[in-house]
Amino acid sequence: MKKSESSRGLLAIPYAIFLVLFVILPLVVVIYYAFTNGDGQVSFSNFIHFWQSTKTIGTLLYSVVIAILTTAVCLVLGYPVAYVLAKGNFNNSQALLMIYVLPMWINFTLRITAMKEILTVLEGNLAYHPFLNTIICMVYDFLPFMIMPLYNALTKLDDSMIEAAQDLGATRTQVFYKVIIPLSVPGIISGITMVFLPSMTNYVVLDMVYNSTYIMGSLIGSYFSSYDWHNGSVISIILLVMILVVTLVSNRFTDSEEQGKARV
Amino acid sequence: MKKRLISLLLISAVSVFLFAGCGNSEEEDVIVLRVSNWEEYIDEGDWGEDEVIDLEEISICSDTGVVEDFENWYYETYGKEVVVEYSTFGTNEELYNQITMGDTYDLVCPSEYMIMKMMSENMLEPFSMKFFDESVEENYYVKGVSPYISGVFDDLSIGGEQLSKYAAGYMWGTLGIVYNPEVISEEEASHWDLLLSEDYSKRITIKDSVRDAFFAGISIYNYDIIMDEAFTCSDSYHEDLTTMLNSTDEVSVDAVEEILSRIKDNVYSFETDSGKADMVTGKVVANQQWSGDAVYTLDQADEDGVTLCYAAPDEATNLWFDGWCMLKNGIGTDADKKHAAEAFINFVSMPENAVRNMYYIGYTSVISGGEDDTVFQYADWCYGADEEEAAEAGETLVEYPIDYFFTGSEEETGDYTILTYEEQLTRQLFAQYPTKDVVDRSVVMAYFDKEGNERINRMWTNVRCFDLSSLWR
Repeated sequence: MKKSESSRGLLAIPYAIFLVLFVILPLVVVIYYAFTNGDGQVSFSNFIHFWQSTKTIGTLLYSVVIAILTTAVCLVLGYPVAYVLAKGNFNNSQALLMIYVLPMWINFTLRITAMKEILTVLEGNLAYHPFLNTIICMVYDFLPFMIMPLYNALTKLDDSMIEAAQDLGATRTQVFYKVIIPLSVPGIISGITMVFLPSMTNYVVLDMVYNSTYIMGSLIGSYFSSYDWHNGSVISIILLVMILVVTLVSNRFTDSEEQGKARV
Repeated sequence: MKKRLISLLLISAVSVFLFAGCGNSEEEDVIVLRVSNWEEYIDEGDWGEDEVIDLEEISICSDTGVVEDFENWYYETYGKEVVVEYSTFGTNEELYNQITMGDTYDLVCPSEYMIMKMMSENMLEPFSMKFFDESVEENYYVKGVSPYISGVFDDLSIGGEQLSKYAAGYMWGTLGIVYNPEVISEEEASHWDLLLSEDYSKRITIKDSVRDAFFAGISIYNYDIIMDEAFTCSDSYHEDLTTMLNSTDEVSVDAVEEILSRIKDNVYSFETDSGKADMVTGKVVANQQWSGDAVYTLDQADEDGVTLCYAAPDEATNLWFDGWCMLKNGIGTDADKKHAAEAFINFVSMPENAVRNMYYIGYTSVISGGEDDTVFQYADWCYGADEEEAAEAGETLVEYPIDYFFTGSEEETGDYTILTYEEQLTRQLFAQYPTKDVVDRSVVMAYFDKEGNERINRMWTNVRCFDLSSLWR
């Protein structure tokens, strides 16, 4: 008994090593750079610099707006798809699901390049709508990440709940808003976290659709390529804090939701 | 099963020791030279069967590539084995970051400002005295480097030390604009403010590089002074121009920020490598480019039946070069290694190899050949025109003198004049070997000091970040 427990513990060692080497150590380095200045002294000037410049704040807001819009559009497009896939009367919904997540199997630069050509045909000149094109390509890129968790949450949803609501006289819309949506909140939350956070930093998409305005990710890249590790690290820390907040808030949502379910 | 596993382990352990043993015994007489160069920046061989450059005395083709040929040449010449570990980098900053993060190289080929930065940080190993001895037959670099380029090198110094002691040139060129002559006139393309032109709004790209964008910006800012005759005719014209376009004082940088913000709103994009393809497909009609890339773009477009041209703006152009330099932490005190590194520079500077590289990558070598005429013959082979053929086709030919590059003197002897089609005045030949008036108004962009560098980087961030005030404008 004891032996098997310890050998099970051994299984965690490879990832533990990975974690320390590639997650914790770099994080320590980032924190060190963020809170020191060029002379190696502890300093908050980098943070002050970020919040004092209207340009960097502008870029923070710009990234947030891109992320919110991308997430919202993904949710609006992805929810019906996930619902139909999970609850529709298909013989082989797995195969259908595959079709929807198929784009994930294709290299993303290839996908965006193809999308770029399509948009060029539609718009004539991409440069006139950089913001719109960014959102379109971001949504194209991240949609599967929204569909998957939604689909999982909706397949787990107990049909008897829907039937019960219908028996008690709820209309179809009432069933949808009062039963299905609340019960799929965990899926919605994990879909949002999977789309919102990466879309704030995925500057490759912006570069590829010729959007010349920086988002947070490009700002980090630009600082690092001019050897400014300090300001680059500050932005990474700010992003990290935002991610932490979003995760904490969403955890609270899922927790209370699960408790609610238990009480029912 | 278990036994088999153990024996397998033993075998692999033994073989590891065996190989390690081999490595050790070899290390003593094999010199390992770690070279890092730009991507696709050297002849890699494998030319097609019809790809032969037929010159007067020799015909040049390439099968194995310059690096492998160097290893053989070194063994034949010096009787020692050398193995080149060749790697590449994508930007100067990437190379610098690699080196400061602990990668060791012996010989690298960054651009002029990065050489200056490395020099100022005491990272470079100076060449040996022997490297500069012109009487040594194998010293192809000092014997063959263009007098014009070596003049440029001699004028540059960091902390009182001349750049030429630490760096040997490789490729050079100008910064200009590739344009589609069907849409844009030569006159329009010959000014940096084309980037601001509303007529071509969203149809022009600019390099996504702070230094290249800054150069265009500061040339536009100083337009009135630069184009003034009193300025251009002054004795200190070139010196003043250099100071002006290298100034990083607050007033200039703020003005450039404003200009670049307008450029950002006007251009199609800031691009790193999509510009060439977008020119050929016609998505954009003009594109800020280095001369070497321009040659490549023009060649590609020719293949697709599209004619493009290259212009070096009238205000000023950025004279850039990439050069070989040895790194202290790679070479150390290893005299053999240093010798091999210098030999590598000399080997790529052999006129024949300079031609191979030029043919393969489209850039212009700093080598003019000295006594050897191969390089000029190659230029003539590429661009020279036959008078009879031209007469039959009803084309006029023009004389294109490039003496300044081959002899370093202002005088035009006719020995270094290429008789060529008129179109070449705005095409590949012009991109590869600019005319004397272009080099007269060309300026090397030095490495800025810490303060200037910070100011310029901040300017660049401001230009690229989202401007909140645009919301209520």
